[in-house]
Amino acid sequence: MQLHPRYFGRNLRDNLVSKLMKDVEGTCSGRHGFVVAVTGIENIGKGLIRDGTGFVTFPVKYQCVVFRPFKGEILEAVVTMVNKMGFFAEAGPVQIFVSNHLIPDDMEFQSGDMPNYTTSDGSVKIQKDSEVRLKIIGTRVDATEIFCIGTIKDDFLGVINDPTTV
Amino acid sequence: MLLPDLGFCLMAMIQMSVVTDSPVHSSGSDDFIDYLNEALDASSPNSSSDEEAENQDEFEDLSRNKRRKLESTEETEGSTSEGIVEQKLVVAESSVVKVDGCTHPGTFGKLCISCGEILDGESGVTFGYIHKGLRLHEEEISRLRNTEMNTFLFSKKLFLVLDLDHTLLNTTILGQLSSEELHLLNETDSLEDVAKGSLFKLEHMHMMTKLRPFVRTFLKEASAMFEMYIYTMGDRPYALEMAKLLDPQGEYFNAKVISRDDGTQKHQKGLDVVLGRDSAVLILDDTEHAWMKHKNNLILMERYHFFASSCRQFGFNCKSLAETKSDENETDGALAKILEVLKQVHCTFFEKLQGDLVDRDVRQVLSSVRGEILSGCVIIFSRINHLALPTLKRIAEQLGATCLTELDPTVTHVVATDAGTEKARWAVKEKKCLVHPRWIEAANYFWEKQPEENFFIKKTTTQS
Repeated sequence: MQLHPRYFGRNLRDNLVSKLMKDVEGTCSGRHGFVVAVTGIENIGKGLIRDGTGFVTFPVKYQCVVFRPFKGEILEAVVTMVNKMGFFAEAGPVQIFVSNHLIPDDMEFQSGDMPNYTTSDGSVKIQKDSEVRLKIIGTRVDATEIFCIGTIKDDFLGVINDPTTV
Repeated sequence: MLLPDLGFCLMAMIQMSVVTDSPVHSSGSDDFIDYLNEALDASSPNSSSDEEAENQDEFEDLSRNKRRKLESTEETEGSTSEGIVEQKLVVAESSVVKVDGCTHPGTFGKLCISCGEILDGESGVTFGYIHKGLRLHEEEISRLRNTEMNTFLFSKKLFLVLDLDHTLLNTTILGQLSSEELHLLNETDSLEDVAKGSLFKLEHMHMMTKLRPFVRTFLKEASAMFEMYIYTMGDRPYALEMAKLLDPQGEYFNAKVISRDDGTQKHQKGLDVVLGRDSAVLILDDTEHAWMKHKNNLILMERYHFFASSCRQFGFNCKSLAETKSDENETDGALAKILEVLKQVHCTFFEKLQGDLVDRDVRQVLSSVRGEILSGCVIIFSRINHLALPTLKRIAEQLGATCLTELDPTVTHVVATDAGTEKARWAVKEKKCLVHPRWIEAANYFWEKQPEENFFIKKTTTQS
């Protein structure tokens, strides 16, 4: 963690911690996935002054909650966009795409004001803001984002039943 | 954001030293992750890829059956498209054995949307305007185009691609407003109720935009006949802002705003990013050379110059519409005229053409409608600029006129820039119409033969 001299003083440690949280929360790495929140600071090492500038570098060991989707994992997600190619959903910071190849055959795309996928008898409907349970079949971590492909073609997957409707 | 149940999250006690940044791609080289991967892989679809291949084929069979039912009303074309589908399936099946059961119809974030495998290839076309990270491969694009065709032809809709600048609106940078235009800063319409206004100031982009008169009626009526796309050479943020002004409810252009960031070629627009077949797309644009590959689909629009900066950009020295405090006529302007043309083409396509809907071509309709404008006119050119002559001749012939090179009793019009030439004097003597080349251009823009009296050239004056 690099710190500008203006932060030196009584509140050095606090400044360091808040800068750490600001910088690291919300980022993504290939190994660990998405950093959701920092839970604790384990150790702050001795600072090393950089040559040429007044910045000081501190090695910080911290604990955090990370989120990383895995292939085969079952997740609940909220649908964000529905179109003829499938639907997009998000589960926290993760963007998931379920293509129509992986949507059960009895669900057809209906275009219109609120595009949706509906079963032939109209009993199940997937539209924007619906909650669905899906299975991840592939993931890829980018510098700042995680992309996933999901499916709802297996048993017990699909729209999570709304308790108010029968 | 809906944070998933923490039970599914990994509570990882991770020792991370931030001094050394190590951007590593998802390689799964970590022991812990490997272990989990193995445990999950045991029950993952990878081991049952054959079943998936079968499911895939079954699915395609079922979808073929569904398509058969849809196409039962149009039997002849149904059989040909089924033939194509069958061929594709044969190809897919043979490649199934090699490609692990998946035809890889497209990718999202470089992952195949059907099997989840990471694909690094560059094949296919990016559809970033629909959703970031989406890319579709050729077969899938064709399949989607065909299903789209059926849906839209069924509901009697064709496709319309609209340009923004100088076609539907005119934008200027705030700093480029001329002194006589500064009064506009006080006359802008509220951004709260966009549907009622036409002049908008966009502070955060330092721009001011004026919508062309009649544009809202135009969009409303065109939307009943066409599925509309915006395709602009502006960047994506600009395109989306303009779409919000033109379509505040999001009913016309939702996920159909194509900007220059989405095009596949620099400085050229193409229909490869439009999910509609070329034979059913009409384009409305003021710039012809942006559509080199699709000239036959193009309806050229007269440019809308509201702001002085726009006039100057194209080399006009006259006062802009804003400076003279006037505007294009609402009911008689370019958009109104083009709407009539669109209605005519739409009507001809659906009512008057014979044969199956899928085989009809809107480009043929367009050229036949165009060919009626000056039909019956026999034209001779006199003293036209060498460079301009071929284009002028081409336009005149597209409009249905016959162009001759020798004087002849059948000649009806002499197009010249100078009334003193031999041909011009012959025209006056034989009581033929002697008009300026602008008469042909006007006919091209207005889709109507213009009264020749407005384009007469006087004997002594220089060209107007």
